[in-house]
Parts: sequence; structure tokens; C-alpha cells
Amino acid sequence: MKYVDEFRDAELGRALAGEILTSVEPGRHYKIMEVCGGHTHSIYKFGIDDLLPANVELVHGPGCPVCVIPMGRVDDGIAVARQPGVILTCFGDMMRIPGSDGSFLDAKAAGADIRMVYSPLDALRIARQNPDREVVFYAIGFETTAPSTALTLKRAKIEGIRNFSVMCSHVTIVPPLRALLDSPDLRLDGFIGPGHVSTVVGARPFEFIPADYGKPVAVAGFEPLDVLQAIHMVLRQIEEGRCEVENQYTRVVPYEGNLRALEILSEVFELRPHFEWRGLGFISQSGLKLSEAYADLDAELRFDVPGVRVADPKACQCGEVLKGVIKPFECKVFGTACTPERPIGTCMVSSEGACAAYYNYGRFAREREVV
Amino acid sequence: MRVLSADEATALAWCAGEDGLPGEVDVGLVDPVAAGDVVLVHAGVALTRLDAREAVLA
Repeated sequence: MKYVDEFRDAELGRALAGEILTSVEPGRHYKIMEVCGGHTHSIYKFGIDDLLPANVELVHGPGCPVCVIPMGRVDDGIAVARQPGVILTCFGDMMRIPGSDGSFLDAKAAGADIRMVYSPLDALRIARQNPDREVVFYAIGFETTAPSTALTLKRAKIEGIRNFSVMCSHVTIVPPLRALLDSPDLRLDGFIGPGHVSTVVGARPFEFIPADYGKPVAVAGFEPLDVLQAIHMVLRQIEEGRCEVENQYTRVVPYEGNLRALEILSEVFELRPHFEWRGLGFISQSGLKLSEAYADLDAELRFDVPGVRVADPKACQCGEVLKGVIKPFECKVFGTACTPERPIGTCMVSSEGACAAYYNYGRFAREREVV
Repeated sequence: MRVLSADEATALAWCAGEDGLPGEVDVGLVDPVAAGDVVLVHAGVALTRLDAREAVLA
């Protein structure tokens, strides 16, 4: 398939792996964080880490939108779904995320009308088809997904659809990265920037990483050659003593982002003063809520939402995994008490979660000797 | 996804993915699209239109 096959060429992959080998200094250990969960899955699906020199370590970042939803927010969604006349809609990934008393799927099995949608536009269609019901879209995701929620809200407003509202748990990517860079737990040498978030925000918002923290960044696509090339770009910057934001994914990411999408985001949403991230705690100005102009479509104002903060289960180490402090197999419950079938933590459930990537692609233990 | 047909007035387009199944996509965030264009779609919304020339150069 065009735009895909070209970026899975084994010959080119081997050549790139050879170039990576010549870019690293023997005896030096390199830690590169791939921010996005989509990259984590590409890395293990295609065995990219097996092509890297032993002293290049990939660290998995917090860019999995489902993984960062705290238990209390899941409970809030279930509380809304249980109210009479409500149809709660959400993406498939959300259905199995554990709350303090089960998941959306458990609540659905117990009688709540919770439906999986591919797009918030589908949720709006359900609202049009069910004028006597209240349809709530449980919105999650980074800046990649927020535009679809914003466009849907705009359509709802224009069409005057009164039985539709949004429960907003959208988050932004820069504040958690800053929090990670400020954390003393982690020493990183560079970043693979999130490709699809960057289609919306562009590569420019990541300039603070080289400017304030002196670390190189390469925004990357999701095919194996994209990821390998981005790793090479980061290593070459280190080798040449450069430090900047490079864009590997030029076929998709404009450096300035999608200005129309950014405009609609600023019209429909505003920043919350604080937002709780699962495992990472409260991060200021990291979550979005509906702006004043769209407050009449805000499910949190329309319904009684408990808003109770629930601590993560003690055994769960999703926070350390999301911060890249531990590898998934270093978590005490990985693959034993916590599996994709019976997850304890979010990272094992989501299709973008690091634990799910390790579990699904058979990475049950440290297989590479890291120098 | 590849655009099959587009309606500029509603900013909606029918697009087909790898599986060939058509789906409705909001194309309001990208420049006007026409049948045959390739767009990157996330959650039912086209975020960018792929540039064939860039894809070869990248």
C-alpha cells in the first residue's frame, strides 16, 4: 500500500541500522524516549529494538491517552451512564479501563447503556436518532483526538442538538513532558516526538526541549523506517553536538501544525488549572474542558458527577511505566496478576499501552544486555 | 484513507481505508479534497492531506 510499503523496506532498514551503529560512541549509554504509545507498539511489533546497538535504550513515554485516565474519571463516567435516560458513548479502548468498581464494560453488562463509537460524530448521530435520550460522549485523547470532539461540538451547536453533551478528559502533551524533564528520576538523552499529535500542534511546541533542557528531538512517523530514521536523527544530533527539533515525518506533519484545528481547539476548549493523570498525579494546565461558549454542552455541568479522587491499586506500577522509570516486565504484577484479559493497570489494556505492547509481542523479560 | 467522494458544503467525504470499507470523514480541517486524495484520518476527522511528492522524498 502506498505510504506504507515504502517505509517497511527491510534492505533500507538494515542500512539504517548500520548507520545508527556508526553514530554511537562505544561505552556511552543512550536513553531515548519515544513519547507516543503508537511508537512503542511499532518498536515491538517490528522488532526495532533488536536492530539497535546494545547501548541504545528506548524508554517509553506517557503518550497513551487511555493509560493516563485516573480511576476517579472512570467512576465519573459510570455514574453518568447509570443516570436514567443516558446513553454513554466512548472509544473502544476506554471500555476495559478499570475504575474503582469495575470498567465501562462491567457497567454495560450490569445494564447501563454504554456504546462504543469510532468517532464523536457517531455519538452525535446516535443523539439525532434518539431525541428522547441524553447522549454523552466520553472524550479522551491528546491534541490528535481533541479536534474531532471540537468539530462535533460545533456541529451539535449549529444543528441545535440539545440532547448531546461531552464529558471532557482531553489532555495536552507538553505539560507531562515538562514534568518528566523536571523529574530527578530520569536521565534522558533525546526524544522521538509524537507524530500524530504533531499533525495538529506541529513540531514547534517541542522546541522547549532543546532550548530549556538541551535534549534533541525528532518528530517521527509510525512505520519501522520512520522510527529507525528518527533514532538515527537523534543520535546524529548528539554525535555532532547539535540540539534541535527535527521533523522526520514531513509527509504528514507541517512544522506549524494544522492552524485550522488549533483555532477550533482554542474556541471550543480551555485549559483546566489542574488535571489528574493516572500514576503521574496532578499536572497544572494539562487538561482541557469546554469553554464558556460551549458550557451548555458540558456533561459535567449537566449531570451529577461524583468527582471523587481514587488512588491507584497498590500493586499497580503504571505511574513508573508511564514515566519510563521501569520497564513493563519490572512491574510486580506484569503478566501474572495483570494481563490484557484481567488488567489491573491501564497500560495493560490500551492498544497504545507499553505493558500491552510488551505482553502482546512476547517481551516478558530483559532480553538484551544493556551496556 | 483514500477519498472516494467529497461534499464541500457539508465538509464531509466518503473515504476508504486499507480494508476498502467506506466511512464518512469530516474534512473541515484540511484544504478541499477531491476523489483520489489520501488523507490521514483520526477518530473520523481528516487531520492532514498527504503530499505524494513529500512521501517519496521522506
